[in-house]
Amino acid sequence: MKLLTLPEQAVVKKDFGEIWSTKMVRNTMILVPVIMAVFLPILYLVLICFVPSNQINGADQMMKLLPKEAAGFNAQQSMFYLMTNMICPMFFLMIPLMSSSVSAACSFVGEKERSTIETLLLTPLSVKSIFKAKVLGCILLSAITTAISFVAFAIVISVGDIILQMPFFLNWNWLILVLLLAPAITVFGVVFMVLVSGRSKSYMESIQTSGYIVLPLILLFVGQFTGLFQLSALLLLFAAAVVVVADFLLWLFASRLFTPEKLLK
Amino acid sequence: MLLAAIHMENLTKSYDGKIIALNRLNLDIPQGGIFGFLGPNGAGKTTTVKLLTGLLKPTEGVCTVFDMSPQEKPCDVHRICGVMTETARMYGQMTGRQNLQFFAQTAGMDGPESDQRADELLKSLDLWDARDRKLSEYSTGMTQRLSLARSLVHRPGVLFLDEPTSGLDPESAQTVNAMILSLARNTGVTVFLCTHQLRYAQDLCDGYGILEKGNLLAAGDLPTLCKNIGCRIRAEFRLAPGQSPEGLQKAGEWWRTEVRDEDEMPGLVRKLIDSGHDLYEARLVKPTLEDVYFEYTERREVSK
Repeated sequence: MKLLTLPEQAVVKKDFGEIWSTKMVRNTMILVPVIMAVFLPILYLVLICFVPSNQINGADQMMKLLPKEAAGFNAQQSMFYLMTNMICPMFFLMIPLMSSSVSAACSFVGEKERSTIETLLLTPLSVKSIFKAKVLGCILLSAITTAISFVAFAIVISVGDIILQMPFFLNWNWLILVLLLAPAITVFGVVFMVLVSGRSKSYMESIQTSGYIVLPLILLFVGQFTGLFQLSALLLLFAAAVVVVADFLLWLFASRLFTPEKLLK
Repeated sequence: MLLAAIHMENLTKSYDGKIIALNRLNLDIPQGGIFGFLGPNGAGKTTTVKLLTGLLKPTEGVCTVFDMSPQEKPCDVHRICGVMTETARMYGQMTGRQNLQFFAQTAGMDGPESDQRADELLKSLDLWDARDRKLSEYSTGMTQRLSLARSLVHRPGVLFLDEPTSGLDPESAQTVNAMILSLARNTGVTVFLCTHQLRYAQDLCDGYGILEKGNLLAAGDLPTLCKNIGCRIRAEFRLAPGQSPEGLQKAGEWWRTEVRDEDEMPGLVRKLIDSGHDLYEARLVKPTLEDVYFEYTERREVSK
């Protein structure tokens, strides 16, 4: 059985075209991952390699946050380990969230803003089909963006690991994050935007609203630096499970709100 | 008996529970021909189209299109309906051809079939030369024509057109009207035309419905509407200055009287000549749709 019928595939293709032709969305979808997955890790790696660790403010404090598995690392290796395992994971929640919410804003709110949603609703496609095609299209686009970002990130970090003679960075935390939490967050970003789209009058307004869901994620990772808790594989697994349940509930709720009367309000 | 293409029974819509946008509308529109749904802005014409196409749910009553409820089977209704409204826009970043291909694909056509249908419509609506231009670069007239093409892309049996000539210059409006007329006459499509441009409506439509503030004031063909409201044909005469014939009323340079039908005209002419009047010109003036429309709306105001 095909996941999408031919008419639904046409909607996905059309949405990809619309997203790509919207300059701001295109820039966000390219620049944010490039900065987070490539530019910042390279910058950090260069800093670690060329700036003596005793000149970095708070380096000693940060060392105290290191888990047991990094006990034998020297100062440079420790700093790189901290960056790879405590800062960068946050980027891989922000990249899927940003790309999914921005593409969904363009696909759902943008369609409403440009008054094209009515035309789409008048086609022989059912409202359910339109919803499915749009949601899956945004998820697919966001998944591709995240996957490419991760491959680029993995190359940069692997080069860093080789230079600093460290073991390969991928651990259980990363696997759970990339394979479970990031996809769950992607779905969350899209479905949340569908909910917001009913109330948002403009694409920009909906993007601003999506900012509220980025905040808890940042707090989750910043919290580690306070020493309150450390993100373990188990905790991430639990977080992924919570987000999957939230996705399911929001999907049900959003699909019920996705009616012609509400969309044309 | 022929199945009514569009059926409305006590169709009522209120958006907020207080103001009634459409009040107990009862109307049956037969298959084929063009039905003009007339009324000023805010009369409830667009609401009716949205109810008939399943975009809105009625507060009360039912409606069907070819015996299918747009609320229960919106996809089936959309499969046989083409809809062109002022608020249903197309994709500005896509070319005219891409837009039509996309909408053909949403109707289930595959790649080659959608290409063929898009090209066919672009040629017939005189948009072939602009096919590869982005829609955002189209003029209003071209956009309207493309919207008409979009509504026809899946070869519908019923066409809902909401102010199709709104914002067009007279030449473009005439072109669009000619297309609508040719469609109805040559393909047997039933056209539900919402407009407040009465002159165009009279040229195009076979039947009319007059809507005001959500209430249907009258429905039928022009002779029926005239008969029901008492609008009659007028016999008008231009006579030599200073002459005042008996039983005729003066209206500018002309003297006039109402007649039941045109058979009365020869008798009136003969009478005027026999009574020694110098007759320069004589004419029969049939009530226009505009006359009938205003007669209905004014009478409603008076009855209020």
